[in-house]
Amino acid sequence: MTDTPDTPQDEMGPHNEDMQFIAAEYALGLTPPEDAGMVQESLRSDPAFIAAVAQWQERFAVLVDDIKPVRPPRRARKRLKHRLFGAERRPLLQRAGTWQLISFAALAVAAWISLNDLTVDVGPDIPSFAAQLENADEGLTILAVYDPSRGGIVVSRTAGGARDGRVLEIWAMAEGAEPVSLGVLPDTLQVWVQIPDELALQAASLTLAVSDEPPGGSPTGAPSGDILAASAVSGL
Amino acid sequence: MNRKKIEKMITRTALRDKTAFEALYDATSAKLFAVCLRVLNDKAAAEDAMQDAYVKIWNNAGRYRANGLSPMTWLITIARNTAIDRLRARRAGHMDLDIVETVLAAPGPTPEQAAVAASEAKKLVKCLDGLEQNKGEAVRGAYIDGQSYADLAARFDVPLNTMRTWLRRGLIALRECMSA
Repeated sequence: MTDTPDTPQDEMGPHNEDMQFIAAEYALGLTPPEDAGMVQESLRSDPAFIAAVAQWQERFAVLVDDIKPVRPPRRARKRLKHRLFGAERRPLLQRAGTWQLISFAALAVAAWISLNDLTVDVGPDIPSFAAQLENADEGLTILAVYDPSRGGIVVSRTAGGARDGRVLEIWAMAEGAEPVSLGVLPDTLQVWVQIPDELALQAASLTLAVSDEPPGGSPTGAPSGDILAASAVSGL
Repeated sequence: MNRKKIEKMITRTALRDKTAFEALYDATSAKLFAVCLRVLNDKAAAEDAMQDAYVKIWNNAGRYRANGLSPMTWLITIARNTAIDRLRARRAGHMDLDIVETVLAAPGPTPEQAAVAASEAKKLVKCLDGLEQNKGEAVRGAYIDGQSYADLAARFDVPLNTMRTWLRRGLIALRECMSA
C-alpha cells in the first residue's frame, strides 16, 4: 500500500479497496454468483457501498459517449405507448377487480361521509372523483376523494406512513402544469384539504401525488424527495 | 443534452405525466437504443431491450432522486443493464443487474460526492488508456460488450482467477488515476 499526503489512509486502505473493487465489479456486471448474496445485502443496507456503486456507474457511463445515437424504428414508440397506456382508457369501474372495487368504494364512501355532515346536500349528478395513491414497497396507501360541493379533498391514509424522520407531502397537478403542494400530511389518518380554485375547476383531470420530504415539507416548492405514488383521479 | 431538462422530464414522469414521458423518450431514445444495439448487436433484440428499459423508467421514475446519479447516467445504466441481462439471460448463475431491484434501496452519494464523480468521470477515458493495454480493454469489454470473466479470460488467454486479480488491479489503478 502506498501512502501519499493527498490520499488519506481511510480512503485507500485495504478494506476500502475491497469495497471499491466489489462495487466496480457489480457496476460492470461481473459479480461472481457466490458473491451475489453479499452484494445484494450491501445494496440494501450499506450506504457507503451504494454510493461507491453509483460512483462507478457514473464513471463507466462515460464509455458510451462515443456510441453515436441511432433513431429507433417508429413502431417502437407506438408499441411502448400501447404496452404502458393501452389499457388505461377504461374507466376505474371496469379496471378494478370486484372485491377490490367494493373495498375501494366502501373506503371512499366512509372517507366522504366522515367529513360530511348529513346536512350537506350533494345532488346525484354532481360528479365526484377519487384517486388511490399506493406504493406496495413502502406499504403505503392513501385514498383521496374530491368533494365537489366543498371544493376540497378528503385524504385518508389507509395503510403505512412517512419514513422515519420524514413527512409525506401531497401534490396536485393540472394537465401540463407544475405540481402545486396541497400540504404536508399530519399524523392523523384523515385530513381535509382545500384545493385552490383554479385547480378545483379542473378537478376531473387532476393528477395527485405523494412525495417523501424533510420535516416541514419540501424546501423548494416542488417535490424534492422520492415521489412515492402518483395517480390521475377517476370518476366515482 | 441539458441535464436540468432531462431531470425535469423524469420528475414529471414520476408524477404520471404521459406527455413528459413521451418527451423524455423523444429526447433520449436514440441514445438508449444505440447503447442496447451496441450490447446486443441485433436490431429486434435491441428494440425489445429498449422498450423494457423505458417500462422500468416509467415505473421507477419516482425513485430517480434517491440514487444520486446524473439523469443521463441513470437512463443509460438502466438501458445498458437491461440489454446485458437480455444478453446473458440464458447463462446459468448470472446475477441479475436489474437496477430497479437494487441500487435504489438507500440514499446514494451526496450532491458533493456526485459532483466529484462527474468531474472524475471525464478523466476515465484518459486513465483507461493509460492502464496496461489489456486491462483497459477488459473494462470496456465488460461494460460495453457485456463480457463475463469467462469471456475475458478466453479473450486474453489467461486463467479465470488470474483475470479477476488482473481486473482488480486495473480498477484500483483506474480509481487512483481518476482521483489524482
